[in-house]
Amino acid sequence: MTRIACPFCGPRELREFEFHKTLPTPGAQGAFARTYERVADPALSVEHWQHVAGCRAWLLVHRNPSTGVVFAVELAGEVMP
Amino acid sequence: MSVAPAAARHYSALALLRARIAGPGYWRPLWTGRKLQPAYDVVVVGAGGHGLATAFHLARDHGIRRVAVLEKRLVGYGNVGRNTTIVRSNYLLPENHYFYEDSLRRWETLSRDLNYNVMYSPRGVVDLALTDDAFPALARRGNAMRLAGIDAELLDLVALERFAPELEPRRKRRFPIVGALLQRRGGTVRHDAVAWGYARAASARGVDIIEDCEVTGVRTAANAATGVETTRGYVQAERIVFATAGHTGTVGTMLGTALPIETHLLQAMVSEPIKPLINSVIVYVSPGNGETYICQSDRGGLVMGGHLDGFPSYTREGQWHRLEDVVQGAVELFPRIGGVKILRQWAGTNDMTMDGSPIMDRLRYDNVFVNAGWCYGGFKAIPASGAAFATFVATGTAPDLIRAYRLSRFATGHMLDEPGQGPFPVRL
Repeated sequence: MTRIACPFCGPRELREFEFHKTLPTPGAQGAFARTYERVADPALSVEHWQHVAGCRAWLLVHRNPSTGVVFAVELAGEVMP
Repeated sequence: MSVAPAAARHYSALALLRARIAGPGYWRPLWTGRKLQPAYDVVVVGAGGHGLATAFHLARDHGIRRVAVLEKRLVGYGNVGRNTTIVRSNYLLPENHYFYEDSLRRWETLSRDLNYNVMYSPRGVVDLALTDDAFPALARRGNAMRLAGIDAELLDLVALERFAPELEPRRKRRFPIVGALLQRRGGTVRHDAVAWGYARAASARGVDIIEDCEVTGVRTAANAATGVETTRGYVQAERIVFATAGHTGTVGTMLGTALPIETHLLQAMVSEPIKPLINSVIVYVSPGNGETYICQSDRGGLVMGGHLDGFPSYTREGQWHRLEDVVQGAVELFPRIGGVKILRQWAGTNDMTMDGSPIMDRLRYDNVFVNAGWCYGGFKAIPASGAAFATFVATGTAPDLIRAYRLSRFATGHMLDEPGQGPFPVRL
């Protein structure tokens, strides 16, 4: 994993991006779960990233944290971290 | 019927003499290749520092005879062999500095306790302030330590120059050194020796260390765990201890519990050996490059580490640009090492909690224990963690020393947020 394809800027170097947070468990209820608990799936991680050194868009990155393969990158839109 | 393999020899001057007379074959393997039994009193998952130390104390202090340590790869393959070997107890929060001070005291006598030289080297840990606001923060931390009876010295440039002349504290730099906090008893310990020493000592007390045996699931019945599924078959266990560092999150998934943990990579690197240059452990945050810590190994290599790679990963492959940050930070402090080549680079998987402090608690079931969340500071905690956690597992009651590390603190708002950064893995 050395590059992320930003929907606006195209494939850019990893260091232009900043990881923010893994999405909470689907169906996570309450402030505690949403704030602290994290999905730990070695095959798929869905995360909020920001293209801080580029267009500054908030992104949802779907990756495999065991291999570094990026499956998809989309705009975060209304999905809350 | 298999014959029990002979235990490792006790190390002493007399043993050296005996070995000299007896010739080759006198020394035996450090831990013996015992067979996996179908049932145990305690199964410890993970033969890293914390798992081995817990098993050692269960056998030595609590007389629990049937203990197994199951390891997916090899003894010491994980973080216990991937860290920068630094030990210290210079924490701000009372819960943390009392715990790590207990650990540091145990480091001081560990070689004797294990009958194995772990090469504890109290060469001093120096935290540098490179900005005006970093210095009062160090003073505050040092004062908190001194109130707890832990050694800490705030150094101005004159005192720092006396202690570490190699830093040239008064030299003109872009980010001049303002001052430093010194803990003289802090230093380094040979990390592999810690894994080997604990494995040897545990094995000598009857602990079965089973390598190449991955735990794939937990079998449960009537609200209690009954054993673990492994790649070598089912093992019955009265109590199960998970000490799996970066894979604790997946242990939670295995048990159907989401944990306040993200797995991040931290990388470290070592240079080619050079003549003695750095006499202590130097830690600092440089305004341009983030955190760097640097010390010199007994072999002469400069051991360097920095901050996290910055996103969840199980790959153990460090990001190049983070390596650059660390090296730039090191060269900024010691311009003369600019021509030294990096020899090796590696990364470990860190179980980063949402407040930067560990989790030592039961997990979902009464007889399942998790020793985790050590972030990137687990190595220095090994002796205290092993002793305290073994007491917890053996008696069912957490000793005062680790009571603050309960899992429920996140829900009740009793976080131990050392850097004060909120519900995220520690970022520097």
